[in-house]
Amino acid sequence: MKKIININFHGRVVPIEETAYDILKQYVDSLRKHFANEEGKDEIINDIENRFAELFSERLQKGSTCITDDDVNAIIKSMGRPEDFEKDDITADNTSSKESNQQKSSAQQNQYQTSFDSRQLYRSENDKVLGGVCAGLANYLKIDPAIVRIIFALITFGGFGLGILIYIILWAVLPPKSLAINVRKRLYRNSESRVIGGVASGLAAYFHIEVWIPRLIFALPLILGIVTSIFRNSWFDLDPAPVFVTGGFGGTLFITYIILWIVLPEAVTASEKLEMRGEKVDLESIKNTIKGDLEGFRGRATVVGSEMKEKAQQFGQEFKQATQNFSSEAGPAIRKTGTGFGHAIGVLFKAFFLFLAGIISFALITALIGLFFTGAGILPFRHYLLAGFWQNFFGWSTLFLFLAVPIIGLLTWLIRRIIGVRSRNNYLGYVFGTLWTLGWVSLIIFASMVFGNFRSRTSLEDEVFISQPTSARMIVKANQSKVSYYGMDWFGFNWENNGPFYGLNEDSVMMTTVRINVTKSPDSNYHVQKVRFSFGRNPGMAKDLANQIQFNITQNDSFLYLPQGFALTPAQKFRNQQVLVIISVPVGKKIMLNNSVDNYHWFNVNVNRRHMNWDDNGNDYWNDYNPLSSDVEYIMTDHGVERTQRYRDDSNDDEDRTNVKPKEGYRYRGTDSSLPRKKKDSTKMKMKTEEKAVKEEVKSSALVSPQKVHGDQEYSISSVVSNIYM
Amino acid sequence: MNIENTQSQMRKGILEFCILSIIRRGEAYPSDIVEEMRRANLQILEGTLYPLLTRLKNSDMLTYRWVESNSGPPRKYFSLTEKGLAFYKELEATWTELANAVQALASKTDSMPDTTNQNPSF
Repeated sequence: MKKIININFHGRVVPIEETAYDILKQYVDSLRKHFANEEGKDEIINDIENRFAELFSERLQKGSTCITDDDVNAIIKSMGRPEDFEKDDITADNTSSKESNQQKSSAQQNQYQTSFDSRQLYRSENDKVLGGVCAGLANYLKIDPAIVRIIFALITFGGFGLGILIYIILWAVLPPKSLAINVRKRLYRNSESRVIGGVASGLAAYFHIEVWIPRLIFALPLILGIVTSIFRNSWFDLDPAPVFVTGGFGGTLFITYIILWIVLPEAVTASEKLEMRGEKVDLESIKNTIKGDLEGFRGRATVVGSEMKEKAQQFGQEFKQATQNFSSEAGPAIRKTGTGFGHAIGVLFKAFFLFLAGIISFALITALIGLFFTGAGILPFRHYLLAGFWQNFFGWSTLFLFLAVPIIGLLTWLIRRIIGVRSRNNYLGYVFGTLWTLGWVSLIIFASMVFGNFRSRTSLEDEVFISQPTSARMIVKANQSKVSYYGMDWFGFNWENNGPFYGLNEDSVMMTTVRINVTKSPDSNYHVQKVRFSFGRNPGMAKDLANQIQFNITQNDSFLYLPQGFALTPAQKFRNQQVLVIISVPVGKKIMLNNSVDNYHWFNVNVNRRHMNWDDNGNDYWNDYNPLSSDVEYIMTDHGVERTQRYRDDSNDDEDRTNVKPKEGYRYRGTDSSLPRKKKDSTKMKMKTEEKAVKEEVKSSALVSPQKVHGDQEYSISSVVSNIYM
Repeated sequence: MNIENTQSQMRKGILEFCILSIIRRGEAYPSDIVEEMRRANLQILEGTLYPLLTRLKNSDMLTYRWVESNSGPPRKYFSLTEKGLAFYKELEATWTELANAVQALASKTDSMPDTTNQNPSF
């Protein structure tokens, strides 16, 4: 029992037994191989196929229902097999006599041997990428042309174009000659199993090693980059390119891969695939290879569409097609294997796009990892941020489903690609996809819950009773805390004395969101007011939280002591609690802020614009910030505060200050004031010295009008929110 | 030195000449050429004929035209060009010389053939 297939053979439909078809295909392939270096090889094979077609139709006209193995074998017998041709060898003699008369045309020597024996250096005419110099050298040295090409490419890349120079000289000097390839084993790109260009699998086939070994070697810098980025993780380290491209080892591998991609021909035909593995090319092994091909093809056909790679390949193929078309117009230097100048350009283009895609995906992975670890790093704060079971639940699920799942998924995919595992089904993909979708859902729910925590804002205003200082001067100082807090260093974020959280210990977090405003006293006395703010899910909760802020101001004659900050316990939750200290200074009296006050960091969370104008009295004076320089003595005048000494030698901020005339009260309406303020917020994470400098600038460049404050607040939300939730 | 090699080399040398002499008589179809040569007891594989014809055609010795066929795809019929004819003439002359020489040399059976040839003047 035999299967019969219909084939379109030279314009006729021929019913043929499948086995007979295999024999025929194999035979034609062997002819193609035999006549590979013949000038009119296509025509010859076409003629022979034509004759087959004619004999087939004769047989069918005689009444056969189909072409059988015997039919094909009989025709092949009368045609002769390539091995038989060699016996009464016409081919070799004629080609060599055409090419050179100087050669001793010993009839028994076949083509390969004649080219071997001529120990003279030529350019190859039939195997070339540019001028055939490399193939000529390879023929002379009896090595694989690919190796010579690689060496040339390396000399060109590494030796500042030296390789090109040598190449051009040799191109000019050497005579061209049609040369055969005289090695049995050649490096090819294996197009059958490839991830990018098939270089790694070609190498594996050449050295007879498992394919994942060269793949792993090439992918190593990438993997190392990812791994080191996990350990070296800082907050937003999105600088992946140097890690795996310019870094010495990785860069060399990357360039090597590109060179190999350009230089190595693709193993397309059966005989080329055999050469790749270094097997002896004869009919039997060709048959085996083709058989393997067919089976592999059948197997693969069932999985088509399941792999992303397929699409990528398709794109690559189209791209290659396009470049080949281009190159066939641009120059005749294309060889049967499809390498050529156009191919090189195509590969470079492809490499460029892959490079970009690689950077983007690498950055994504790094960012995800960064986010994951940031999320994990924020864990100690979660008690302060999250209230209730559900917020915690969605917090955890966001961390794992939204952040961890894609990282694990991408790494799994990468590793599976490298090892060469192909799954017949997409369960893994579905699982990861579903989990990630859940991650998105929980992210959205989580975000809305957390934002809900900040919906309302309330303030509590208290008068602090003080006795009037004996001298006409008040000095404001921040106390040193008696409770020890860690100065924390998470992923490059140095918390100590920086940032709104002064520190964290087991049961509380220290907030430094304290601000000091200086205003003109309505009478001749100093007055101190304390305003506590808090957000909350509803005004009642917000008020409750504001009330829980412990911020005790003490006084010792002319010294006003403020706490270093205020502590929040996990029960209290972090709801952007703030303390505003308003010091009213009577006209003619002085005030000075000690530099310890500089450690306060004021920031706002505002998730709801409707609450921007929370103060329905229109009395928003506490939104105006009059940052006095620390350790400078000010005196209250009718126009507002002024320095007692107008110039100070060691400070450059006086120059700015003199330019700005104080207008009504203490309010300065700096025109460009929003910019430095922003700077201040964004530099929270930076080093203290830097921040100091910025602060000076901020202070000197004066103050913010209500409108400006508005914009500023918006800014601070985004920065703070991003810090917290990411 | 094996006999088969020598034989095949001898055959090869005259193969082109034989093919051209068949085509000279009129347009010829490759399988007909093979058939005719077989009948003349010159074994040739069809597979070796096609490359030979293509090479001759590519060096302008032969030309061909397509002829529709009842039993299959159109056939290629080959014929000689003027250049091919000249080439054939040269080959023929060479062949005649060679054949005579070989004949003369191979047919000498006597130990004293020289004297018989030189003596007719007597």
